[in-house]
Amino acid sequence: MTAVHVLIVDDDPALLQALPETLRLRMNGVTVDTADSAAAALDRISARDYDAIVADIRMPGMDGLTLLAEILGRRPDTPTLMITGHGEYDLALRSLRGGAYDFIQKPIDRDRFVASLHRAIEAHALNRREKDRRSALGRCVSELELIVVKLEREGGASHE
Amino acid sequence: VEALSAMPEAVTEDREAESRLRAQVEALEWRLRKRDEQRRAMLHIMGDLNEVNRRLGDQRKAMLHILVDYEKDRSGLARQTERLDSSRRALLHILQDSHRSNLRLADSRKAMIHIMGDLRETTAEMQRREQELRDKQEQLVQAGKLATLGELTTGVAHELNNPLNNTGLFVGNAIDLIELGAADKGQIVRELRQAMQQVSKATQIISHLRTFGRAAPVSREPISLRPVIERALSLVQEQLRLHEIEVTLDLGPEEPVVVGNPIQLEQVFINLLANARDAVLDSPRKAIRISASVGSATVEIAFVDTGHGIPSGLERRIFDPFFTTKEVGKGTGLGLSITYGIVKEHGGTISVVSTPGEGATFLIQLPLPADKETSAP
Repeated sequence: MTAVHVLIVDDDPALLQALPETLRLRMNGVTVDTADSAAAALDRISARDYDAIVADIRMPGMDGLTLLAEILGRRPDTPTLMITGHGEYDLALRSLRGGAYDFIQKPIDRDRFVASLHRAIEAHALNRREKDRRSALGRCVSELELIVVKLEREGGASHE
Repeated sequence: VEALSAMPEAVTEDREAESRLRAQVEALEWRLRKRDEQRRAMLHIMGDLNEVNRRLGDQRKAMLHILVDYEKDRSGLARQTERLDSSRRALLHILQDSHRSNLRLADSRKAMIHIMGDLRETTAEMQRREQELRDKQEQLVQAGKLATLGELTTGVAHELNNPLNNTGLFVGNAIDLIELGAADKGQIVRELRQAMQQVSKATQIISHLRTFGRAAPVSREPISLRPVIERALSLVQEQLRLHEIEVTLDLGPEEPVVVGNPIQLEQVFINLLANARDAVLDSPRKAIRISASVGSATVEIAFVDTGHGIPSGLERRIFDPFFTTKEVGKGTGLGLSITYGIVKEHGGTISVVSTPGEGATFLIQLPLPADKETSAP
């Protein structure tokens, strides 16, 4: 896996210290950026295509759900994980319907969180690979079509 | 005589006759002397008798005086006896009367004892009821506090969840570092220290909630308003921050001190803050302003919000228990009625002024301490 970039968005400075450290300890070679507001997150997203984004659903200003919609508008392929409070299934459901890849409940279970983030990054990588392959396939198809046309032309000329 | 003695015969006879005569004369003379002596003695006796007689006369006179006096005394005594008699009779009457009164008194006393017994029972019943009422009141105060806490639950849970979550993460990081055999012990310690900070943050929230929720006797003391309002703010500040509600606190140059119960007053402010928070949620400008001014006998505290205001006609109903304009499940309808009750109990007043669409102002007046010198602890 190439260098993985993850963005964490939360308004709690303590969490912005703890969670990146968790990821650095549990995921080899991960680079974690942080943003303490949705607005700061959008700035970072336009500057870089992240492999995954983790965002708190409750934030002053723009909340997590609005941020999710913004991310999907700008980077539809980037998987986004939403952090919700314990037992806030309503918000969790809304974030999934809003296009989130997964939701993580606070207090965060690190194993599950890291596993989910792994899956998200892998899915993102697979998506990317699939896209690459599909475009490569497309290229092959058009090349083949060109060859077919060329061969047909050649065949027509020998008949004459 | 010598001539007679000279004749013998005749003379002898004569002499005898003469001596007889002489003897007779002598006897007579003796008798005479005797008589004279007797007469003199008699005269003495007579004199004495006279003296005695005179004295007797005097004594008689004195006796007469005494008799008169005695007579007087006797008649006085008779009159006194008469009076005594009538007094005795009167006394007898009185005694009879008093006996009857005594009987009546005994009856009254018995009746009184019955009444006293009843009264005692009634008093005991009253005391029991009073105690019951006090218990109920305390329960009500407690229920009110729990209702206030209930209104805050979501916010408080969120507020507790954050430090708990962070603690878990920091401790987890420390465990990971140890398990990975990190050479840098400093980093492990840093993670653990940060975990400790988060724990103390959570502890603060919990101890505040416990103080607030504790069933404690409702005491009254001079208290400074600022820390009470600040404590109330600390319980809702996370929600205010999340909703970007701007709060200004202006208690004036004088630190207002009122007589009251800090927990109950905090409850008042929490309720008003929660109310203002809900009111401004959909407003273009979300702001709450808390101000206070010290008057001659009261402190006036104003909670001004930029919310949707109170629809006209509802100003009087908003303090009614279970009255709420919030959707079902959102409010208990108890907040403002509890607030109203607490302010009244504190000898204060609460009123609301509102222009629909332009926010509401809640005004609370609380009495100043009687002695202006008294300062808050």
